[in-house]
Formats: sequence, structure tokens, C-alpha cells
Amino acid sequence: MFDKLEKILGPVAVKLSSNKVLTAIRDGFLVATPLIIVASIFLVVANFPIPGYSEFLARIFGENWEGYLDSVVNSTFGVVALLGVIGIGYYYGKARGIEGIAGAAVSLVAFLILSPQSHPFFVNQDGKSFRGFAFSNLGSAGLFLAMITALISVSIFVKIKDRGWTIKLPEGVPPAVINSFAALIPSMFVMLTFFVVRLVFNFTEYKYAHDFIYKVLQTPLMGFGQSLIFEPIYQFLSTLFWFFGINGPAVTNTIFGPIHLALTTENLTAFNAGQPLPNIFTGPFGDFFGNFGGGGSTLSLVLLMLFAGKSQRMKKLGKLSIVPGIFGINEMVIFGLPVVLNPIIVIPFLLVPLVNIILSTIATVIGIIPYTTGASLPWTTPLFFSGWLSTGSIIAGFFQIGLVALGCLIYYPFFKVLDNQYLKDETKPIEEKDDLNDISLEDISFD
Amino acid sequence: MKRIYLFCNAGMSTSLVAKKMQEVADSYKLPIEVKAFPDHKLDITVEEFHPDIILLGPQVKFKLEETRVKYKSKGIPVEVIDLEDYGNVDGERILKRAIKILKEKEAK
Repeated sequence: MFDKLEKILGPVAVKLSSNKVLTAIRDGFLVATPLIIVASIFLVVANFPIPGYSEFLARIFGENWEGYLDSVVNSTFGVVALLGVIGIGYYYGKARGIEGIAGAAVSLVAFLILSPQSHPFFVNQDGKSFRGFAFSNLGSAGLFLAMITALISVSIFVKIKDRGWTIKLPEGVPPAVINSFAALIPSMFVMLTFFVVRLVFNFTEYKYAHDFIYKVLQTPLMGFGQSLIFEPIYQFLSTLFWFFGINGPAVTNTIFGPIHLALTTENLTAFNAGQPLPNIFTGPFGDFFGNFGGGGSTLSLVLLMLFAGKSQRMKKLGKLSIVPGIFGINEMVIFGLPVVLNPIIVIPFLLVPLVNIILSTIATVIGIIPYTTGASLPWTTPLFFSGWLSTGSIIAGFFQIGLVALGCLIYYPFFKVLDNQYLKDETKPIEEKDDLNDISLEDISFD
Repeated sequence: MKRIYLFCNAGMSTSLVAKKMQEVADSYKLPIEVKAFPDHKLDITVEEFHPDIILLGPQVKFKLEETRVKYKSKGIPVEVIDLEDYGNVDGERILKRAIKILKEKEAK
């Protein structure tokens, strides 16, 4: 059965991760990740989950002290669609063989051409409406339009460039000058296209591409993200890929990543505005409540190896894996135990993340732990702190510890079977498997 | 100086492996630099530093074909690290295998 699954999943991984469009979206959003994490630190500082903290700082810095921190949050989360359009334009441009920065630039301009630039509801003293770009279009609500715009504008740019439609300059003109004209006609086609698109939308009931994409594409997709099956499916698929030795989230995030990001920033926007949080399944929720110690929630397994392992192999691997495991890295366990294609360990490996997610969802719905605020932390943040800071409630940190303990219980019987098996193997003599031990590192030189 | 560059999804677990390999190489005073990177930086890194060999973590082995095709013309060998050696963070064995490949390349 594993053979069959491997035959299906292997090619799926290759397809998804070598697809230029999907990888450009994934890598493009990665550009925003470190910035979002830094902005989240500002947000956590502004709302540190300790009673009396806010009042204490207000006495020192004045009533509006959080407002200063908001400027950083707005400059990242507030314009996350811009970061997306630049990132995706860059990587998709590179993948299609143009300069990354050229792809990023045309994508950004195309996106801004589509965006509302005058706001008739806001007028100044002379009765003139406010002009400018609004956070409401450049933040989470613009994410999916950002994706589409970047892909289309780069495609147009590449197509025109490949046709060789550039300005022909007479002999003797320096190549540097010619190069500066090379992007002119392709850029013109991109901008003209998006100008026309803007005009067309103006005549429809939607008025702007933003509203159209938001209603037609983003709302339904985020509806899927809000449905109770979204996160379990994501977790299950990610773990399943890991079981075959393939980095699960690297594959699944090509599809689930944008939805997670939109759900996360939506929560953050609401949190910042002091409104009720709309979504359970944010990125941090998926990162910090499904898996502890990496895919398959193997921290529980590593703890068993350390404290209940009888075989040398289990003890050694436990020692090797515990520190990386605390930071969510578990390749040592996956390839060293190994988890890969191991019919015994697969059962708890697939089961524990699902149990974690389902219990955390229930706990969130009935109010034991609060919704995640949307503040993002590095996925390497150790448990307890990750739960505490991503929800603002220390109870969530204790809840995580409870889940790890439960994970130990689920892993235990399967772990015991493997441990006994290794104990038996260790009494047998070891055989050499290749000639690598014959290589001496004493006297190596390179030409 | 020979550059052995490792790539995995975030460059996290490979950085542990790279550190071990570098320790082994240093203890034998070998002129070798081992570093780890996330795989989405693969092209940029290769362009800038021209590694002598590219090693992929087993969790991104599905990138092998694509990467090999890309760097075959530049003569950079691309290999996937052995599952077991990777899991045990056996820097010495992984380093030896890389050296073996480099030596074979030189012999050609």
C-alpha cells in the first residue's frame, strides 16, 4: 500500500514544487515572512499578555504609546499585498527568465494601477475627495489580487519581450542605452493592459478589481479556510508527505499557504482595531497547535526515546534530537529512527497532529484558549512560549504542554515495539555497508 | 578551498549537518567550507559562490532531477544525502562521500 501511495505522492510533490506559478507564489510570500515576524514582535510588545502591563507603560510613555508601535505594524501587515506582489513578481520573473527586479517593478505598478486612488467618502475642507492608496486595499484583502496581478503582468512582460518587440536603435548606440530601452515596450504593454482592466471594472457593478477578486475568489477560498475541515486536511497531508521523506509543508504550503496568510492577516487587522477575531485556522495556529517538535508532533516521541528508551539506538537518537526538537526541527527523527516508510510508527505519526489540531480547535471554539491574534512568530519558537504569545493567553501555553503529554501516551505502545526490536538487533554483529570507512581524511588534497 | 553547500527547505536541519561536517573537516585541517541554505535561495547562492558540490537534504530529494539538469552544464555535481547518515547527523560519513565525489570529478 505504501508503494502505491509513494507512487502517487512522489510525483505530486515534484509537480507542485516544480510548478513555476506555485513556487513563485510560495517563495514570493516568503519575502514577507521575516518582516511580518518582526512586526509581530512590535505587536506583542504593544499588547503583552500580562495584566497591568499596558497601564504601567501608559504611565511612562503617555496614553497613546501603542500608536507609535502601530506605524511599524501598518507598514508590514497593512501592506502585505504589496509585499506579496513584489515578491511574487520577483520570483516569477526570475523563473520566466527576466530580471527579478524588473518582474517585481511591473507587478507593483500593475497592482497600483488597479487600486482605488481616490476616496469620495473622505473630503477635505474644500470638498475635494482624499487621494492616495488605502491600507484596506493593500493589506490582507488585496492578497489574492496581488498574486494574480503579479503572475499576469510578468507573463505579459515576458511574452512581449520574447517576441522581440523592442525599440530598434541605429548602429553605434551604446549597449547600455539599448538595454535601458529594452524593457520599455514590454512595460508599456503591461501598463496599458492593466489600465484597460481598470477601466473595464469601472463599468461593472464591482467598480474595482479588488472588490471583484475579493468577492469572487478570496471570500470563497477563505470560507474553505474557515471550514472545520481545512486545518485537519492541511495537517494530514503535510504529515503524509513527511512519512515519505518529503518536506510536507514545503509541498502543501504551495496551496494552503496563501489562504493561511490571508486568514492570519485578517485576524491581525481585527486585533489591531480591537474587533472580535474572525478566524481560528491562522498560520500560527497551524504552526503551533498541530505539531510539537516538527512534523508528526515528534517531540512526544523524542521525550519517550530520552526517558523510556532501552536500546542504545533510541537513547542516542533521543539525545541527538531533543534540542533541535524543542525548536521544531526533527529531520533527525524522521530519517534516523526512521519514520520514513516505517509501518509501525506511521500510525501515531499521522494520528497525533490530527488529535492535536482537533482538540485545539475544540478548545478554541468553547473558549478554553483564545483565538490566535495573528501575531506571527518564527515557526522555530519553542512550545509554551509559542502558544502564549500567539494567543496572548498563558493558558494556551499550558494547553500545548498537555497535548505533548497526550502525544507521549499515543506514541508509547508503538515506540515500545520499535525499541524492543532495536534492542534485539543490537546483540547482532554490525555489518559494513559500503567503503566510506576506508576513506582516510588524514591526507586529502585538492588540485 | 572546496565549497560543499547543503540545501533543504529552510536550511535549518542541514545547518546542523553542515556544522558537524565543518567540524570534521577542520579537525583534519582540510581546505573545505561547508554551509547550509534554504532551497529557495539555491540559484542565487550558486550564482554568487559557485560551490564545488551541491548536497540536498533527503526531505527535498524531489528537487534532485530539476537541480541536476540545471547545473550539469556548469559541472557541479548534485547529490542527495543518505537518509541514515542525515538522521544520525553523521558529519564524517557525509563529508567522506562528498570528498569521494569531488575526487572522482577531479579524476575525470
